[in-house]
Amino acid sequence: MSYVQIENLKREYVMNKEVLVEALRGVTFNIEKREIISVVGASGSGKSTLLNILGGLDRGYTGKVMIDERDVKEYNPNFYRRHIVGTIFQQFYLIPSLSVEENILLPMKFTGDKDIEVKKRLDYLLDMVGLEKRRKHFPKELSGGEAQRVAIARSLIDTPKIVLADEPTGNLDSKTGDSIVNLLKEVNKKEEVTVILVTHDRSIAKKTERVITLVDGKNV
Amino acid sequence: MFKYAVSLIFRRKLRTLLTSLGITIAVMLMTFILFGMTDLQRAILTQFSSVFKPTDLYVSSQDFTMMGGMMSAPTKEEEEKEEVIINNDIKDEIEDIDGVENVYPMFMITGFDVYLEGDDTPYPTNFVQSVNLSGNDEMYREFQGDNPVLGKEGIFVSKFVSSFFEISQQDIIGKSIFLKSVPQTSFVSGANRNVLGKEYEFKVQGVVDTSSDAFWINTQKALDILVDTGGFVDEDEYLDLIGYSQLLVTTQEEKTLDVEEYMTGEMGLNVISSKTVVEFISTLTSGLTIALIVFGSISALVASIGIINTMIMSIYEQTREIGIIKAIGASNTQVLLIFLIQAGLIGLIGGILGLAISYALMQITDPFLVEVLQEQGFNAIEKFFYFQQLNAIYITLGSILVGIVAGVYPSMKAAKLDPVKALRYE
Repeated sequence: MSYVQIENLKREYVMNKEVLVEALRGVTFNIEKREIISVVGASGSGKSTLLNILGGLDRGYTGKVMIDERDVKEYNPNFYRRHIVGTIFQQFYLIPSLSVEENILLPMKFTGDKDIEVKKRLDYLLDMVGLEKRRKHFPKELSGGEAQRVAIARSLIDTPKIVLADEPTGNLDSKTGDSIVNLLKEVNKKEEVTVILVTHDRSIAKKTERVITLVDGKNV
Repeated sequence: MFKYAVSLIFRRKLRTLLTSLGITIAVMLMTFILFGMTDLQRAILTQFSSVFKPTDLYVSSQDFTMMGGMMSAPTKEEEEKEEVIINNDIKDEIEDIDGVENVYPMFMITGFDVYLEGDDTPYPTNFVQSVNLSGNDEMYREFQGDNPVLGKEGIFVSKFVSSFFEISQQDIIGKSIFLKSVPQTSFVSGANRNVLGKEYEFKVQGVVDTSSDAFWINTQKALDILVDTGGFVDEDEYLDLIGYSQLLVTTQEEKTLDVEEYMTGEMGLNVISSKTVVEFISTLTSGLTIALIVFGSISALVASIGIINTMIMSIYEQTREIGIIKAIGASNTQVLLIFLIQAGLIGLIGGILGLAISYALMQITDPFLVEVLQEQGFNAIEKFFYFQQLNAIYITLGSILVGIVAGVYPSMKAAKLDPVKALRYE
């Protein structure tokens, strides 16, 4: 049985109390454990909606989303967002007043875990993303590529099962974007996590193992 | 999480500071009210205890008593109490109470114009107190002069009197003071009586280092004047019909309370002790403090509206960030806490600033205030403002509380934000 099962996933929004928008119209696909896939589609195709559902932020859908044979809706939403998924955003969304290592450790502040292994994990992740010498720096002192690497490390700090990357190269030049995709592939291998990369850039998508294309809320 | 919350408020330093200023002003008000009232109470009690021994008791014929320039309003019980004529029988009975050391009679004379030799302007008050210092020069410890034994022809004046007549304290000694009773004035030491027009001459024997506007003459002389101007046959008739204005009863230290209870309970007298005055001052200042705190709370309310406004602005600005932290695992309760910590910290900053500024102002103004108080007769005061740690802690906690209470609504608003909408927020 596949690690992630998405079956007849639908999501409708009511805009301005009258207009019904069908963001997802029966999306169905599976993802295997430790697979790295990309979801591509034009603007408005339902990519972000799918990512929000997989990220545990949106539970207003119909259909089925199973992770490791368990319905996403059965998870406590906070637990799910802390321990099952790690999310990377297009605009990095680092906290400007916190240093690189503080940003990476931020999710741990919400879990309440005070594991002494966290320090080792931080050192390991800083080494993996190549920022061990920048750990005391602040986001404004980092390049776009470095900031995204910090965001990747942050998404991994609590050893999630799935990494969701929402247009992770959208704000980067092609060379840096490539390096980020390569890093995600490395993460996929080393961390043995499932990576779901959402992008509108087909050249980026092609670098992953499989491409799911969304058109008007359906996968084709 | 705490560090993250702190980092959020320092991201907008100027706005945080300006918001905190509302609390700062409220705290300054509260500080001056709480510190000031406590210090005022202490100042009054210090001054009071410097002139009023804890073993001294004053027995008064009047419900409304004045002594040493200090006034106290009658209580309801005192109003209902029948006026007692303090005659020699009462005096003798008090002298026989166990624990009483001495009883000094005193008179208050009103209805006189007071003139200084060579000056046609009458002193604007006509209140003369009698005192007999013979053998008891500690009775009024504020008295100063070469000869504390006040003879029948002598008079003590306060330094306020010498300044009124624009004459130095040294030069007024030896000058004549005239007391002129005004005919038809029908008030003699608390009793209705036709007053005859008379004039009495005294020599200034000393100046009292107090600003209370009073004259003091010998007790026997005061009685002679009252008998004379009131048309009484002799002093016995006066004492039987009108009596002494006050008796100063000195007591043994451990018996003061018993003597006071006996005089008020068994004898039905109006007694003023240092204990009752302390209680009265405490009640008065406590009442005033509460009234002023209510006033100060209004400024705290205004400050809290400022915090609410800032926090709501902050939520709008941080909407996307709230979405992010929710996406990486922050629960609604944790978001609520982050914003409550921010609000509490704004309160704390305001509180500490307010306390610091108030403390600095108190240090700067203290010498001037002490000088003014000393000029007003509070000559036992050396320092007015004292830093009160407990009140400072209450004020700081209060300012944090105001911040947190003001932050409840914005924090709940932040906690309830839908992370999907928050992430899309532009």
